[in-house]
Amino acid sequence: MEPLEGTKSDSDHAPDQEPLPSNSASNCSQLTLKLEFSSKVVEHEYIVAFTGYFSAKARSLYISSALRNAADRALEWHVVPRENPASDFPSDFELVHIRQASARSLLTLEDHPYIKRVTPQRKVFRSLKYIPSPEAAAPCNATRGTQKWQSWQSSRPFRRTSLSLGAGFWHATGRHSSRRLLRAIPRHVAQILQADVLWQMGHTGSGVKVAVFDTGLSEKHPHFKNVKERTNWTNEKTLDDGLGHGTFVAGVIASMRECQGFAPDSELHIFRVFTNNQVHDGKIEIKQITDGNFNEQGSHRVGKVWELTANRVIMVSAIGNDGPLYGTLNNPADQMDVIGVGGIDFEDNIARFSSRGMTTWELPGGYGRVKPDIVTYGSGVRGSGMKEGCRSLSGTSVASPVVAGAVTLLASTVLNRELVNPASMKQALIASARRLPGVNMFEQGHGKLDLIRAYQILNSYRPQASLSPSYIDLTECPYMWPYCSQPIYYGGMPTIVNVTILNGMGVTGRIIDKPVWQPYLPQNGDHMDVAVSYSPVLWPWAGYLAVSISVAKKAASWEGIAQGHVMVTVASPAENDSEVGGELTSTVKLPIKVKIVPTPPRSKRVLWDQYHNLRYPPGYFPRDNLRMKNDPLDWNGDHIHTNFRDMYQHLRSMGYFVEVLGAPITCFDASQYGTLLMVDSEEEYFPEEITKLRRDIDNGLSLIIFSDWYNTSVMRKVKFYDENTRQWWMPDTGGANVPALNDLISVWGMAFSDGLYEGDFTLADHDMYYASGCSIARFPEDGIVIAKNLKDQGTPPPQNTPHLLKKGRKRERKKEGRERRREKERKKGGRKEERKEEEGKDKPPSLSCVFLPCRSFHSFTCVCGLVCVCGLVCVCGLVCVWFSVCVWFSVCGLVCVCVV
Amino acid sequence: LILFDVLRKVQIYFNEERTIRDRTLLEVRDPDHRIPWKVRFNLGNSSRQITQCRNSIQGKTLLTDELGYVCERKDLLVNGCCNINAPSTRQYICKSCLANGCCSIYEYCVSCCLQPDKQPLLERFLNRAAEGFQNLFTAVEDHFELCLAKCRTSSQSVQHENTYRNPQAKYCYGESPPELLPV
Repeated sequence: MEPLEGTKSDSDHAPDQEPLPSNSASNCSQLTLKLEFSSKVVEHEYIVAFTGYFSAKARSLYISSALRNAADRALEWHVVPRENPASDFPSDFELVHIRQASARSLLTLEDHPYIKRVTPQRKVFRSLKYIPSPEAAAPCNATRGTQKWQSWQSSRPFRRTSLSLGAGFWHATGRHSSRRLLRAIPRHVAQILQADVLWQMGHTGSGVKVAVFDTGLSEKHPHFKNVKERTNWTNEKTLDDGLGHGTFVAGVIASMRECQGFAPDSELHIFRVFTNNQVHDGKIEIKQITDGNFNEQGSHRVGKVWELTANRVIMVSAIGNDGPLYGTLNNPADQMDVIGVGGIDFEDNIARFSSRGMTTWELPGGYGRVKPDIVTYGSGVRGSGMKEGCRSLSGTSVASPVVAGAVTLLASTVLNRELVNPASMKQALIASARRLPGVNMFEQGHGKLDLIRAYQILNSYRPQASLSPSYIDLTECPYMWPYCSQPIYYGGMPTIVNVTILNGMGVTGRIIDKPVWQPYLPQNGDHMDVAVSYSPVLWPWAGYLAVSISVAKKAASWEGIAQGHVMVTVASPAENDSEVGGELTSTVKLPIKVKIVPTPPRSKRVLWDQYHNLRYPPGYFPRDNLRMKNDPLDWNGDHIHTNFRDMYQHLRSMGYFVEVLGAPITCFDASQYGTLLMVDSEEEYFPEEITKLRRDIDNGLSLIIFSDWYNTSVMRKVKFYDENTRQWWMPDTGGANVPALNDLISVWGMAFSDGLYEGDFTLADHDMYYASGCSIARFPEDGIVIAKNLKDQGTPPPQNTPHLLKKGRKRERKKEGRERRREKERKKGGRKEERKEEEGKDKPPSLSCVFLPCRSFHSFTCVCGLVCVCGLVCVCGLVCVWFSVCVWFSVCGLVCVCVV
Repeated sequence: LILFDVLRKVQIYFNEERTIRDRTLLEVRDPDHRIPWKVRFNLGNSSRQITQCRNSIQGKTLLTDELGYVCERKDLLVNGCCNINAPSTRQYICKSCLANGCCSIYEYCVSCCLQPDKQPLLERFLNRAAEGFQNLFTAVEDHFELCLAKCRTSSQSVQHENTYRNPQAKYCYGESPPELLPV
C-alpha cells in the first residue's frame, strides 16, 4: 500500500517510454520522437476505493460515517463532483477533497467495512519530444526495419494463397468507435504510413515512372531530384505551377526533403493539364462536368482511361470532394480499373468532404458498385509548397497522391515487375487495407491504406482473381449498409450486389464454367435463390459479377439466416506459357449470408420508382432547387441509397419496407405494394404505363408524387455556357418533367401548374422549406388539399452565371412527416398527389453563410456560394481552409478573408 | 459580401480571357522548325527474322505485333509475336479503315499503318507535327512505335473536348483528323 501522507508533492518520471516508430524521414533517422510520462500528486485529493459498486448517495454516506469516527471532528471535506453521464451509475470509487488530512483520519476511513483503500490522487502528464537520435547512422539497412512491422503483425499467418476471401464474415467490425486514443500525430504522411520501413530496406521508388496530371511544377523546385519531363497541355504558355496544387501532389509522391514524399527516386513526368482557374476546392473537375457522354460505352474519357490501364499503367484517382452527400463519386475514380481514393482525417474519421455512395452508372436497372476502393489521410496533410517549403492541404486530391506515392514505392519493392499491374496492385491494396469501425463500405471501401501489409502481400503475390467486396453478408451492420438495413423477403424485388472481379492474371480474362451457386443446406441456403450475371470479357483487368438474391417461395413466411456461396472461375491467356493457347485459371468463392423475414403486409411496402429518374449525364437535367446556383446539374442519381438516403432511412425507421423499381411501371405486381413513390421524375411515361397505373390505383395502390418545377422561361434562364464545350446547355426538363406527370394524372382530374414557389411551412410539427416547386393547378372537388400560400418565385430566379464554375453540393433532401399524411389519405380512401417539398434545415445559401458542425476540424464548415472550411465566419472567393493552427491560404490566388 | 461579388467578376473575367483555340497534331510552321524525329522505318520487307516481338498489349481480343500481324490473343506466341500459322492471323490488314486513314479498331489501324507504303505519309506527318507533340514523336524510335502512337486517340479525335468527331472511326494513322459526323 502507498504511504498515505500524500500532501507533499513528488514527481517521478517514468523512464523514457517506447520511441514511436517514426524515425524522421531524411537519411534514415536523425530525429526520434520520444514519449514521456510523468505524474504528480494532487494536493488534498484522495481516491477512496470501495469493495463494491455503490450509488453516489451510498458512497457519500459511507465516507461521512467513516469520517465521523475520526478524531478531529472539524475535518473539512467534500466529494469532488463528477460531471459526466456515467456518474448516474453505481461506481466503486470516489474522489474526496480533504483539507488538512492527517494520516490518522485517513486510516479511520480505511476502517470502514466497505472501503477498500485510500490513495492520493495523481495527475499523469504525457509529453512528446523530438530528440536527435544518437544511433542514427547505424541501422540504415539493418534488420531493425524488418522487425518493426513484425511487432504489430496480427497473429494470422501472413502468407495467404487467396486475396479474395480476406477475413470473410469474420472481419470484425468493432462496434465501438467512440473509444479512441487521441494523440498528437506528426503530420508527415509518409512516416505515419511507415514508408521509412521500406526506405530502410533500400526501396525509394527508383525505376518507377509516375505521371502527374495537374497544374504543373516549377522547374527548379528544391524538393525534386528526378523530374524527367514537363509538358503543358493548357492554353496558358507556361510549364510552371501557378497554384501549388500540382506541386503539392508531386511532393507527396516524390519530395526528397522537408515534407518527405513516398518515392523520392521515382521518375516524374509532369503534365500541366489544368490552369489556375480550372481547379476549385483543391479539386479538379472541369473536365468531368463536360463529358457529353458519361456512360461506360461512350465516353471518350472512360475509353482513354481503359487504354491507359490496359497498357499496364496503374491509375490512382481522387473519388471527389462532394461529400457528405451520397451518390457523388467522380470519374475516373469510379471505374473498375482505377484505384479510387477517399479521404480520412488523422483520427480515422471519413473526411466530411470525401465523396461516397455507390456508383450511379448502373442505374436504374442495376445497382452501383462499391467505391471508393480505399481511404487514406486527406485532411491537413503536409506537402511541398509552390516555390519551396511545406504547406497543408485537404481534399481527396490530397489523399490520392498519398496512395499514388505508396503505389510507386510498393512497385519499386517488387523484384519481378511483371507481376505489378493495375489489378495486382489494387488487389494488394484492398486486401491489406484496415477496416475502419462503424463506417459502411460505400464510404470507406475496403478501409484504410496499410503500406506495410500491402508490401507483404505484393511481395508474395501469385497472379489470381479476387472479388470486391470479397463476401456478401447482408446482416453485417454498418459495413454492409444499406443491405443490412432491410432484410429480404419472398416477393420483394431481388437484392442486387454488384461485385467487381479483379483479375491480376492478365489484361483480358473471361469467366469459364458458369458460376455455381452452392446453398449451405444446414444453414438454410435453400431458402434463397441466387442468380448471377457477369461481364462476357473481363477487360481491362476487371469485370462485374452481379449477384441477384431473392427469397424462395417456401420461405414466404419463414424467418432466419440463410447462407451459401457462389464459385467463379476466371481464365486468362497465359503469357509465359510455352504452349500456345495456354490459360491461367483462378477460382474464387463468394460467401453469401442473408437475413430473411416473412413477407410484410402490403400496406408496409413502398416501391420507389427509379426508372423514371434520369440524371446528368446523358442529358442536362437542372438541379431541383433553383437556389443551388453553383450546381446546375442533377447528377446524384436520385436513388434511395444515394441522395435520398435520409428519406430511405426515415421510412425504414417508421417500419416501411422500401424497394426499388428499375423497370417500367408495367413491370411490377401492384397488388404487393401499398404505395408507389415518384420523386422528381424526369422521364416520360409510355401509354401502357399510364393505363396500367390507372388500373393499379383502382385496385388500391396509393401514389405519391413529388413534382418539382417546370417552367419554360426559367429553363431558358438556367441554360449555361460551358467554356469547355463552347456551347450552351439547355435543360432537357425542369426539375421534374411536369408535363409528363400531368399526362399521368390527368385521368383523375389533377394537374400541376408551371408556377414556381418557395417558402417555409409547418406540417405535423415539422418545419419545412419548400424550395422551388410548382403548385396544384387542378384537383377534384371531393379530394383533400392541404394548402399553404408560398412566395411566388415566378419572376425567374437570379441569373445563373454564364460560366460553369464549379459543381457544388446538392443537399440531401429529407421528407419527413409524409408517412403521417399518407396514413391520413388512406383512411379517407382518397388518393392525392403531393407536391415536392424540401425540408431545409440548411437553407439555400444566398450570400450569407450556413454553418454546419464539422467533425474533422472541430470547427465549422461554412457553405457560402462556394465551399469553405473555415474557423468561424468566412467570406470567400473560392476556397479557404483554416486549420486550428491558423494556417490559411487561398486557392486560385484569389483573396480569402476569414473574419473571426 | 461585396468582396464576394467582386471576386466572382474577377473569375468571369479570367474565363473570358481564355482564348478559344483548337489543339491539333499538325501546325503550319516554317521548315526550319521541324521536330527532330528519328524514326527508323523498316525497309519494306516482311521477311525480317526476329525472335522477340513487341505488340500492342492493350487489346481486348486482338493484338498487333511489330511485324504488322493481327491475331487473336489466344494465338499470341510466348515471344510476343502472332502465330502466323493461325487461321485468323493477317498481316498489314486495313479492315475497318476508311480512305482518310481512320479505322474503327485500333489493332487494324496499327497493322495498316505498318504497311511499307505508308512511310511517305508518316514522314510527311512527322515533318509537320505540332510542337506540343514533340516529346511524343521524338521519343518514338521506329515504325512500329510511331504507328502505336499515331493510331491512339488524341485531342484531335474529339470535338469540344467531349465527344468523338467520329465514334465509328476514331483511330487514325493518316494526317487528317476523323471526319466530323453531324450530330
